[in-house]
Amino acid sequence: MGVRGMEKLREVGGFVLPADSAPVSVRVPDAAASWRLGRREDARLITGAGRYVGDLDVPGCLDAAFVRSRVPHGRLVAVDTSAATATDGVVAAWTAADLGDEVPLVPVYLATPGSAHRPCPALAVDRVRYVGEPIAVVVGADRYVAEDGADAVRVDIDPLPALVDPGEAAASAVQLFDGLDNVVTDMEFGDPVPDEVWQRAAVVVEGVYRQPRLVPTPMEPRALLAVPEEDGRLTVWVSHQAPHRLRDDLAADLKWDPERIRVRVADSGGGFGSKSGTYAEYLVVVRLALRLGRPVRWLEDRAESLLASPQGRGQNQRVRLAADADGRMLALDLEVDADVGGYPVGAFVPGETGRAAAGVYRTPDVHARVRTVVTTTALTTPYRGAGRPEQVYAVERTVDLLARRLGMDPAELRRRNLVPPEAFPYESPTGRWFDSGRYEQALDLALELADYAHWREEQRRRREAGGAWPLGVGLCMFAERSGLEQKEVAQEWAAIDVAPGGGVVARVGTCATGQSHETVFAELVARTLGVPARQVTLVEGDTAEVPQGVGTYGSRSTQVGGSALHRAALELIEEAKRRAGPGASYANGVVTAGGRSRTLGELAAAGEPLRVEGVYAAPAAYAFGAYVAVVEVDTELGVVHVLRLVAVDDCGVRLDDEIVEDQVRGAVVQGLGQALYEVMPYDDEGRPQAADLLGYLLPTIGELPPLTLGSTVTPNPNTALGAKGTGEAGCIGTPPAVVNAVVDALGEPGIQLPLTPEECRRAVAGREAGVR
Amino acid sequence: MSAGVPIRLTVNGTAYDVTVEPRRNLADVLRGACGLTGTKLGCEHGVCGSCTVLVDGEGVRSCLMLAVQAAGRDIRTVEGLAADGRLHPFQEAMSAEHGLQCGFCTAGFVMLVVGALDADPSVARDPERLDALLSSNLCRCTGYEGIRRAVLRAYGG
Ligand code: FES
Ligand code: FES
Repeated sequence: MGVRGMEKLREVGGFVLPADSAPVSVRVPDAAASWRLGRREDARLITGAGRYVGDLDVPGCLDAAFVRSRVPHGRLVAVDTSAATATDGVVAAWTAADLGDEVPLVPVYLATPGSAHRPCPALAVDRVRYVGEPIAVVVGADRYVAEDGADAVRVDIDPLPALVDPGEAAASAVQLFDGLDNVVTDMEFGDPVPDEVWQRAAVVVEGVYRQPRLVPTPMEPRALLAVPEEDGRLTVWVSHQAPHRLRDDLAADLKWDPERIRVRVADSGGGFGSKSGTYAEYLVVVRLALRLGRPVRWLEDRAESLLASPQGRGQNQRVRLAADADGRMLALDLEVDADVGGYPVGAFVPGETGRAAAGVYRTPDVHARVRTVVTTTALTTPYRGAGRPEQVYAVERTVDLLARRLGMDPAELRRRNLVPPEAFPYESPTGRWFDSGRYEQALDLALELADYAHWREEQRRRREAGGAWPLGVGLCMFAERSGLEQKEVAQEWAAIDVAPGGGVVARVGTCATGQSHETVFAELVARTLGVPARQVTLVEGDTAEVPQGVGTYGSRSTQVGGSALHRAALELIEEAKRRAGPGASYANGVVTAGGRSRTLGELAAAGEPLRVEGVYAAPAAYAFGAYVAVVEVDTELGVVHVLRLVAVDDCGVRLDDEIVEDQVRGAVVQGLGQALYEVMPYDDEGRPQAADLLGYLLPTIGELPPLTLGSTVTPNPNTALGAKGTGEAGCIGTPPAVVNAVVDALGEPGIQLPLTPEECRRAVAGREAGVR
Repeated sequence: MSAGVPIRLTVNGTAYDVTVEPRRNLADVLRGACGLTGTKLGCEHGVCGSCTVLVDGEGVRSCLMLAVQAAGRDIRTVEGLAADGRLHPFQEAMSAEHGLQCGFCTAGFVMLVVGALDADPSVARDPERLDALLSSNLCRCTGYEGIRRAVLRAYGG
């Protein structure tokens, strides 16, 4: 079994090289020692000289504002734009009818069965399916005027019943799409667990969990500026993670050759998955710009973002876990009803939850059933973690439940069940191949850094003494897919050019929204070539400069894009040697052959342009981690105090420890937000209840717990660079660790995310009721 | 649209004579008519602090102040911090301590800290006051630790 796994992985590995190129020897640059680089991005960003979409000064630019549904579900009877058109400064006001013969459809991320039958029009045609759905657009001389116009549009909607909960929607007679079930896809992973396994088990525990809807909330909301060029081309400036996909989607909508569209990502104010799609507003703004022959910009405002931008998570989960009397896990069954919102645009996300169901444990029987369901709420699409935090949460809470039932230490229970290092590559019962892992080592380090034994002792002391706030310790272990499994996207393009003066330009198809690529990737190329880093410039996020690319999402940039650049640099060395002649040697940017030494720049000046390019394929990898949280709960006020949080992450080889830690820290704080504060609540009528950042709470510095980061390094066996991904781990490991700690403190397993004071008070009341 | 009012804004020591509608907020006028786009808008409703500028030395959320209210007052934005080609020490510290990733919240944090700590550096030595100050602004990328370290580095906590 193991051998088959490796073959499968290797088959897709490797750089697609020009036919005549020589095989290269693989060298990993001095990567294990942290580089601790100063960030190149900062010079412009700390002085206010960064250029985000909203900062670009384009003469004659118009601003767009959208009119959105205030009704969760209904038939769209009439839209009257006449008063908007008459508003001073308004240039155009459009409904779906003005978009041309075919209303553009919002492209799905990945086709799933059933998504094509439930199309998402860019502007509502005859039905609205969530509050915030775009109905009309108004363009004006600036945003104030466009918003005046949008306020003047009159919309008439005949309400229909709302469907807020995916479980209820699945069973409801009310259909969001006439004649079609509200269940879009019904997926199964692994074989159903035989009845006899449940019967034979010494213990079976069951947990029911709710994953709230989260709003990704990058500090810069979505932003796009479409500029029609005089030569018939179109430039699109956008805050985005996947510019090539956006280019291709826009070209498909316009029926254009993609070469006519140049997508440029300037500085981006964060993404976290929420800027990886092609959204309704983008399609509309592009059409407006082309029709009017003028630049049109759309800057989403925060209220709009909370209402209408894609959200994350949103699952109802049920987990059953069986074990023998020694705590060896026998079977796991996961059932998910995933809420995809009004249209199944991001319906592939919950598939990850099912595929990953086994977690880090060697459970022999694992089965998952995942239904994706439409509801009358905003769309859910990938948000940092995208399916993985949901899976890990469901499993890790249930593992703690099992530990309680068995009266076993939760760390010991985990230890007994981890997939051991020698079992890799490991195929899980749900058909997933894990490349490598040393889970127990991560667990040991996390327990040590947290001083686990001390806190268990303190907990015992408090329980015996009584009086003090109850204290709890929570664990979470996870393996996280980084990179992508589908062959077309398990790869990245990279190129390196050397100018006659010696300047090196590295290009890659990833696209940073704050992840320090300019710094780290340029350094990676410089170190591989052995030239000073100041000689190397990185270019990404411009489809005219970078002809193809997959982008930055799924924790893939260093693992795949970094590997592509590394390989390209090695190829460049081979190319330089080939040109220098037989027996050439290369060191530190200088190639020597036949007693003659030349720099890369001199070589480039001597003949053909010195350039390599190619596509590097790298299979998905599995980063992993062990997190520990220690909490005490103020039972009077219901407030959770996180006393200690330890995050041990293994993301393979780390190029720059500090920049990896930046990612982990940021994600941990988002995970803390998910655990304690964040939820977009909908009332029973389907109306979202948080309209601003006082209603949707993000962590501030005041809520930060003492955080200790630790690392182990298990290199990615399938790339020369050895890196796995790291961008999402923090918000995968943190919520289950914190919630498990609170459950441990309160002894009340029914608690649900987020652990607001109200929720904790409910749990305390439940506990007290139980005691009496 | 109501008629514009002519006002003079003094930003980073330079006078800008602009005509603005009374309803326009200071942030939009700084970014638009004055062309100073370093000030960012993260929420436009007074919560995130990305738009923080100094008005007569005090930190102000420029999305909550009308431009006409700022007429005749001394305004400082992130563009005006560097003096004689040298960065403000806190700008340098932010970079050195990885106090930013995407950079969208950065101008707001920089102006918040410079406004408060240049006047009273002792805040850096009092963790509670420092947390209270930094809690006024939101960052979604960094997890804040680098920002805190940057304050300590620049103001000797
Ligand atoms: S933009 Fe002013 S406080 Fe958020
Ligand atoms: S650095 Fe991105 S929001 Fe703070």
